[in-house]
Amino acid sequence: MTVRVLQLVTFVGGLTAWETAARAGWVDALFVPAPSAVARALLRTGGPALAGLADTLGKTAVAYVLSVGLGVSAGVAIGSVRLLREVLSPYVVALYGIPKILVLPWIVLLLGYGTSPAIFYGALHGLFPVMVLVMGAVRDVDRTLVTVARSLGATTWQLYWKVLLPAIVPSVLAGMRLGIVFCLLGVLVVEMFAGVRGMGHILGSFANGFQAPELFAATGLVSAASIAIVLALDRLNDGLSHWRG
Amino acid sequence: MKVALVRLGLLAALLAVWEVAGRAANPLLAVPPSAVIPALRDLLLLRSYPELSASLLLTVREIGAAYALAVGAGLGCGFMLGMHRVLGRAWGPMIAALYAVPAVVWYPSLMLFFGLDAASKIAFGFLLGFFPITLAVLAGIRQVNPQLVVVARAYGAGAVAVFVRVMLPSMLFTLVGGLRTGLALCVIGVIVGEILGSKAGMGALINHAYGLLRMGDYVALVLVTLVLVVGSDVLASLLERRARAWTE
Repeated sequence: MTVRVLQLVTFVGGLTAWETAARAGWVDALFVPAPSAVARALLRTGGPALAGLADTLGKTAVAYVLSVGLGVSAGVAIGSVRLLREVLSPYVVALYGIPKILVLPWIVLLLGYGTSPAIFYGALHGLFPVMVLVMGAVRDVDRTLVTVARSLGATTWQLYWKVLLPAIVPSVLAGMRLGIVFCLLGVLVVEMFAGVRGMGHILGSFANGFQAPELFAATGLVSAASIAIVLALDRLNDGLSHWRG
Repeated sequence: MKVALVRLGLLAALLAVWEVAGRAANPLLAVPPSAVIPALRDLLLLRSYPELSASLLLTVREIGAAYALAVGAGLGCGFMLGMHRVLGRAWGPMIAALYAVPAVVWYPSLMLFFGLDAASKIAFGFLLGFFPITLAVLAGIRQVNPQLVVVARAYGAGAVAVFVRVMLPSMLFTLVGGLRTGLALCVIGVIVGEILGSKAGMGALINHAYGLLRMGDYVALVLVTLVLVVGSDVLASLLERRARAWTE
């Protein structure tokens, strides 16, 4: 209870302080517009901004499906075959760690401006966290389970389907939770770097045009959308773990 | 041994494929490794980009400033929220929710506010590094066994002694892990910031080479930047090992 009140007080207090500072001219309204100005800008630019958001989320969805699909299958394959795992895991971890932005110029050169580089780069961004988590989970599956299933005469197919996959579900879900933010980030970066549409492009052009109220409104919109998506995934996750027992 | 050979073989095969494909492809879109080597030599001898050392230094300084700020603010904020139960329960989830926003959405606002120079890159690197450090402190404090603190207090240990002798050793793993992640993210933040818009630094050079389709120079610059990224992580992992040795 106190916690909720304190959160509310923080939120309202922060907004009031910000509004006061902007009205009193302590901060330059050119760079830090008052919340009321941001709210008006949100009403004014809401339509185009929502269209941009829909565009960005569409690309993110495609990138997400690709990165979860590829990440889980590659993670299971690499994690379960010993030679593959030993040879490839340093490469995978290294690729996860390096800043993918360094190859972005080249990707844009190859795929041009617009939708396809955004999807490709978003998927590339989301792929590695999912893959690394799934690889680790497959490696750490209880050996006893595998041995018992084998000695009871399970085929390889049954081993994957009945033992490995159920055991790695929590890690897959954790990867999916992490992957969505990475995919959205990747798509937004491409839209800022070489976009012609979408939220990243909109944010970039508001910044270039010194339209601070519109910029803040659009930033708030994307932030709210991504927090909502992550919270929804968390909910789903909790529901699934209850169901698993 | 065998694994190491297969790894090297794979790397060699990849380079060979890249070489063949790079020679066959449009030279404006791809360069073979054999063309990268002279470009790298020219770059390192300061022939193609005489401003290389200045740019590298600027990027390193931006990373240093961003990381120093992130460590200071992250530790301060983390300990404040971790020690104060109500504040921690109220603001902890708010910080975690902000962490769920892809940080790059803040970058245009930072660029507007801090301009195209180093300040906006430092601010963005700080922002990326701040969250994992704060969250690591919070997670670390949760790992401390409260009974140990009570016992230490009962035996007359002061606040400083409790902190250094009881709390720090039991949270160090998590804390140092967070500090390492924070450094990696500061590095990424500064580089992303530079590539999305800057006048100087490694990102500006990469954009310049890419804009003129000087692909050899572009790949060479990316390799030099990668050395910086990997070097910073190696440094952090050495420190991490020292810290672990100290607790054991």
